[in-house]
Amino acid sequence: MKPETRPDVHAPPLWPHTLLAPVLAGAAVLLALIAPPVIGFILALFAGAVCIGSALILARRVRQGEQEVHELDLRLLQSQKLAAIGELSSGIAHEINNPLAIITQELDLVREIAGEGPDCSAADRAESRDSLREIGKQVDRCRQITHKLLNFARKMEPVLQEEALDQVIEDMALLVEREALGRGVSIVRDYAPGLPPICTDVPLLRQVILNLLTNAMHATPEGGAITLGTRRDNDKLLIEVRDTGCGITPANMPKIFDPFFTTKEPGKGTGLGLSLSHGIVARLGGTLTATSTPGKGATFTVSLPL
Amino acid sequence: MAEPIRVLIVDDEERFRDTLAKLLTRHGFTVRTAGGGTEALALLGQAPCDVIVLDVKMPGLTGQDALPLLRAACPEAEVLVLTGHASVDIASAMIAGGAADYLLKPCPTDELEGAIRAVYDRRQATRPR
Repeated sequence: MKPETRPDVHAPPLWPHTLLAPVLAGAAVLLALIAPPVIGFILALFAGAVCIGSALILARRVRQGEQEVHELDLRLLQSQKLAAIGELSSGIAHEINNPLAIITQELDLVREIAGEGPDCSAADRAESRDSLREIGKQVDRCRQITHKLLNFARKMEPVLQEEALDQVIEDMALLVEREALGRGVSIVRDYAPGLPPICTDVPLLRQVILNLLTNAMHATPEGGAITLGTRRDNDKLLIEVRDTGCGITPANMPKIFDPFFTTKEPGKGTGLGLSLSHGIVARLGGTLTATSTPGKGATFTVSLPL
Repeated sequence: MAEPIRVLIVDDEERFRDTLAKLLTRHGFTVRTAGGGTEALALLGQAPCDVIVLDVKMPGLTGQDALPLLRAACPEAEVLVLTGHASVDIASAMIAGGAADYLLKPCPTDELEGAIRAVYDRRQATRPR
């Protein structure tokens, strides 16, 4: 904090109230004890006035201080919000500018070929068609980013319903299993028996499980396995998605839940899945954590209150 | 006829660098492409170039890390930064690090071409004879 913004720099000193006033009041009381009654009464009144005056001034200063601290808290929160918005905007700009750059170049190429008129070669015509296909692909890439961002902005209250946890997870496992088997990745079930039903927003939880399963599938090489596990930990239900993929390096670990962070090739991932999942689990009152031994896979754990 | 300007495009977006290379080739440049800083260094080891079009955010060796290495590998080349990452800090750091110009993606091909020719002409005018 800069000195000029500190709340107490220009305030009058406190020592007249914390030191001088008690000394004066004490002295007045002592004198009142030995002075004649009239003077003693006046001295007692004086001591009382000094004490009450100082107490009032100190109370006002404390309230003022509390107010300043509150205002500083609000300003800090605001600047943190602005920093987060700045970071997010820069991320969005980068992620959208890249597909836009490809679209711009493809358009320039198509325009140039079109400018040659009907005499352009068959190869150029094929080139134009390929460029238009690529433009469509890049528009789709932008659409994915903006749609996921809209999910971020949606502030709907979770709609709670009771459901068997195994069922929620199994629905998503079946959805991913076909593609996983096609990639030579098996899905192993390790559901703890006899778990109580969970009270949560089922569609939101499904989205989280699907994100984690899709990530695990992309990270796991052929011949690997994804283990889906559930268990109870006191008053929490835990869902684990464990893969035998490349794992997460210690350098990347602090960044995995940041929006737009991805280790996938450009255009292959938006870098929003984990960040979105983290936000959803927090809204459901739980936590999403990750552990990993690089080269030996990663485990994502969703912990939800019972 | 003047020698064609030799351009090296360094960008991790394969489609972007390939289409840009096609366009520049059609317009008379000699173009090579690299998917990252390390590949660019290897290409410069084989043959020098006049202008390097360099992306910033790339996996592995980033544009910022690659800039001094590329300049050391090919001191006669001018570096033109072309990135989707809009940050004044990075732009000024790259210019301070010796980049000749900084362009923001998406950039129309004629503008990029103009910038390539401008930095090339500037280098030709200022290089010792």
